[in-house]
Amino acid sequence: MADRIECDVAIIGGGPAGQAAALALSGHGLSIVVIDEQPRPGGQILRQPPARFAVRGWLEERSYRPLKQLLGRFQALDDIHWLGSHSVIGLQRGSVMAMGPEGVTTVTARHILIAAGCHDLAVPLPGWTLPGVYAAGGIQAFIKGQQLLVGNRILVAGTHPLQLIIAAQIVAAGGSVAAVLFAQPRSAMVAALARHPLAALRRVPDLLATAAALRALARAGTPIHFGTSLEALIGTDRVSAAQTSAGTINCDAVGLCYGFVPQSALPRMAGAQMRPSGPAGGWACGHDDFMRTSVPGVSAAGETTGVAGAAAAAAGGALAGIGIALDLGLISLEAAEHAARTPRRDLAQHRAFAALLDAVADPRAYFPAPSADTIICRCEDVEQATIAAELPVCQSANAVKLATRCGMGACQGRNCEPSLLRMMAKAGNVPETGFTPRFPARPVSIADLLPPQ
Amino acid sequence: MSADRITQDVERGEPITIVIDGQQVACFAGETIATAMLAAGLDAFRTDQRGKPRGLLCNMGSCYECLVTDIATGRRIRACLAPAADGMEVSTRG
Amino acid sequence: MERADVAIIGGGLVGCATAWRLARKGASVVLIEAGDINAGASGQNAGSLHFQIERRFLENGDALAEQGAQIVALSRHAVIDWRTIERELETDLHVAMHGGLMVAETAEQVALLEAKAARESREGLTVRTLDGDEARAMAPYLSSGILAANFSADEGHADPRAITPALAEAARGEGAQVRTGTHVRAITRENGRFVIRGNGLALSADQLLVAAGAWSADVCALINIHMPIYPVALLMNATERAPPIIPHLVQHVGRRLSLKQTHAGNLLIGGGWPSRLAQTLHGGFDLSAKAQMIPESLTGNLLAARDVVPGVTRLNLIRSWTGVTAITSDQLPIVGPVPRMPGLWVAAGGSAFTLGLTFARLMADAMTGDEADELSLLSPARFEHLNGFMG
Ligand SMILES: Cc1cc2nc3c(=O)[nH]c(=O)nc-3n(C[C@H](O)[C@H](O)[C@H](O)COP(=O)(O)OP(=O)(O)OC[C@H]3O[C@@H](n4cnc5c(N)ncnc54)[C@H](O)[C@@H]3O)c2cc1C
Ligand SMILES: Cc1cc2nc3c(=O)[nH]c(=O)nc-3n(C[C@H](O)[C@H](O)[C@H](O)COP(=O)(O)OP(=O)(O)OC[C@H]3O[C@@H](n4cnc5c(N)ncnc54)[C@H](O)[C@@H]3O)c2cc1C
Ligand code: FES
Repeated sequence: MADRIECDVAIIGGGPAGQAAALALSGHGLSIVVIDEQPRPGGQILRQPPARFAVRGWLEERSYRPLKQLLGRFQALDDIHWLGSHSVIGLQRGSVMAMGPEGVTTVTARHILIAAGCHDLAVPLPGWTLPGVYAAGGIQAFIKGQQLLVGNRILVAGTHPLQLIIAAQIVAAGGSVAAVLFAQPRSAMVAALARHPLAALRRVPDLLATAAALRALARAGTPIHFGTSLEALIGTDRVSAAQTSAGTINCDAVGLCYGFVPQSALPRMAGAQMRPSGPAGGWACGHDDFMRTSVPGVSAAGETTGVAGAAAAAAGGALAGIGIALDLGLISLEAAEHAARTPRRDLAQHRAFAALLDAVADPRAYFPAPSADTIICRCEDVEQATIAAELPVCQSANAVKLATRCGMGACQGRNCEPSLLRMMAKAGNVPETGFTPRFPARPVSIADLLPPQ
Repeated sequence: MSADRITQDVERGEPITIVIDGQQVACFAGETIATAMLAAGLDAFRTDQRGKPRGLLCNMGSCYECLVTDIATGRRIRACLAPAADGMEVSTRG
Repeated sequence: MERADVAIIGGGLVGCATAWRLARKGASVVLIEAGDINAGASGQNAGSLHFQIERRFLENGDALAEQGAQIVALSRHAVIDWRTIERELETDLHVAMHGGLMVAETAEQVALLEAKAARESREGLTVRTLDGDEARAMAPYLSSGILAANFSADEGHADPRAITPALAEAARGEGAQVRTGTHVRAITRENGRFVIRGNGLALSADQLLVAAGAWSADVCALINIHMPIYPVALLMNATERAPPIIPHLVQHVGRRLSLKQTHAGNLLIGGGWPSRLAQTLHGGFDLSAKAQMIPESLTGNLLAARDVVPGVTRLNLIRSWTGVTAITSDQLPIVGPVPRMPGLWVAAGGSAFTLGLTFARLMADAMTGDEADELSLLSPARFEHLNGFMG
């Protein structure tokens, strides 16, 4: 084991939630460590280019402004210890194990904040394991962070409106989008909007960002189809076309965009109470009105507590910071309640908008149908038919895992758990939990866990 | 298939070379191994049990589809997170 | 009320194998499992088929070592049971019996190996003692720090994921009823029969077998019988898949280590390192909650693995888990009829992956009136004094 760090507060995740928490806690004389597996802070929404790059006009769209300001303030802090390029692999009360390029560091802390964000929902369909098929957020992160376009004709498909923004970013970067496909009809999206008019009104800027994206795509002549679903991805060594309900579309890369699920491995490992997340599936970490989880000394904020967007993440992070200051005896309950007012109000508003977005983006009726030989568990290559055969005799996700190896691989079941739970639900069995979370949250070299020889 | 670097308004780190399965790949300091590979047209990060090439999925360290071997250390690393370093040798063959 | 000749509580290897054997003999059998088949220790264990005397019997003095040696008689049966089971079930269970090495790193441990081998040969088990170089010639993956090893040609491993479901399937095929998702909550004696209740179940049976693993003491308590069976939580570790390098089972005579490579390529590293059992609000153990990993166990286990097979350090650990199994007060399994309560049978404790098929075969014989003398060593009768005031 390479190292040991003792601190007051360990924050896992340098996205908006982690940044806001650090800002709330800064200046109290605490030692604060912020751990992130990305080298630089920003989180998924602001995946910064490497320090070696200079990118003029990086993410200049108006919607990113407040987040860039937050990031700027965070990066200006001089009382936090940034532990970038470190993945948290284990978490128990009071301590965190972080795996970095030089080995594993144990960080002991009086309080731990989990602000690990979310990841794209992995959506199995025939051909989805072909090279060139990406999570849409991954394509976006290549543009934002690495200044790379993954293809010359990128197809973006799913149910989440974020795909409009991603498509627009591809176009703005000089790329070409084969089409944007929404599996749901436009009427379903409009109807969902109409059911939440107030929430929609309060978030005009977000809707405007979408509108701007629509205009940019129209200018580029990018086709946007509603009610058009993916059926299969085609290719031999890489994807070359998509078979859709409206015919075949040629493309050399595909981004799947059916929604996001919380990074839940760490709170589950710590034993925190979880609840089902939004319509895309997954598990969100429960918390009280200061973002404290059911495990003493462990708080959670941002998408880990439910996918609600970057602004909600920032509000939740600030609130968590206040709660931690309260728990550590730095401020009185009265002061904490007072300080909590604004972030609580913001969080509630953003979550209301998120509920609207959930309704608009709800993928449940529109998932592509895997065929019998479609791989569901990518790590272990477990096919749909193999799992289906076990469903009549297995009552729990763990039992299916044991019987089929689905979820037994390197990703710890992050990719396949939602697919498996959907299959089980379809077969009439809605399990209360998914796989038992296990150490390590990320595979770790055995050498790194041991003292040097 | 071709992934392209965005060049307008972007200055990268100095040009470096890494070696993927014995093949020299030119890239830039700061890029991840995944970026270097994709930009060189190498989109298979491993071969699955059916013998099929597999690409990466999430580009955020979460899906583990991009595990490659760093020859010097024998470590299995995520190509989407690990920065390319000049002269580094990487294998996609386990 | 449903009726059966035999009710079996517990859908692990022991329960499923006994159900299959009994059903084949024509008994009507109902097997009752609280969760899914294979959800207990049988699905979480290391899958070692170890026939050499276990380290845990060797480290606590001569008397225990002597007792441990007697198990060897059963191990000889187990070798045959495992060599034939795939043919009998007509299923690939990934049984690999390519031999097992128990290694020593110090002079003291070498002496322990020698004493062990002598005991084993008295009991009729052949092991070869190899020096370090001979061991490395046979197993090039071993470290230069290995001074000696005992080699048993029959040892190996099998797939815990496969065997128990296959046995349950075979039991069903022979007409046994397998009820999962049924937690037994109450057992009563009515007119000399056992009445078993839980989750919509009401079953009357002539004989009752408790094969509930670590839960066996609790199940026996339902019928007012003491059984000195205790739960222990053990750590297991799996690496990512690797090309085939280790055909053997590898164990250590002086340190907690078992290591093998599965048919899929993963290395499984265990050896009896403890995890911390969860507790109930009242202070007892809570077997329904997840046990907690003890970081020192993880490092201890991996260090032992590194010292024996240095190549492991290059691999990624992908999963550490805890399984809960049963240990008895004298470490020997408890298998057989309970004198205090005619018709009640227990089978729990010990290394019942290796020995479970044998327990099941012998018990099915005994329960249907045949001889099964081999089990006398393991009889619950040795704890009859605990039940003097029970029943
Ligand atoms: C790929 C992707 C792209 C997205 N793009 C957009 C977008 O364009 N617009 C939008 O509104 N929303 C987007 N989202 C949603 C976005 O995640 C949130 O709006 C916002 O970033 C959430 O902030 P957060 O602080 O909760 O989490 P994040 O910003 O995701 O920050 C969490 C951080 O934790 C780190 N982390 C996670 N697990 C570990 C671990 N085990 N060890 C160490 N570090 C860890 C991650 O590297 C990450 O930097 C995207 C999500 C994803 C997954
Ligand atoms: C980590 C670990 C590693 C091990 N490694 C090895 C090894 O390498 N080799 C070896 O030989 N042995 C090994 N063992 C021991 C071996 O796994 C066990 O001895 C064996 O699996 C026991 O099988 P069983 O059928 O008796 O119990 P289990 O498999 O535990 O089955 C008992 C079943 O009873 C059910 N049950 C409990 N209470 C009730 C109730 N009230 N109503 C209904 N059902 C109930 C449970 O749900 C459970 O499924 C290991 C054990 C562990 C935990
Ligand atoms: S692409 Fe998913 S972990 Fe690298």
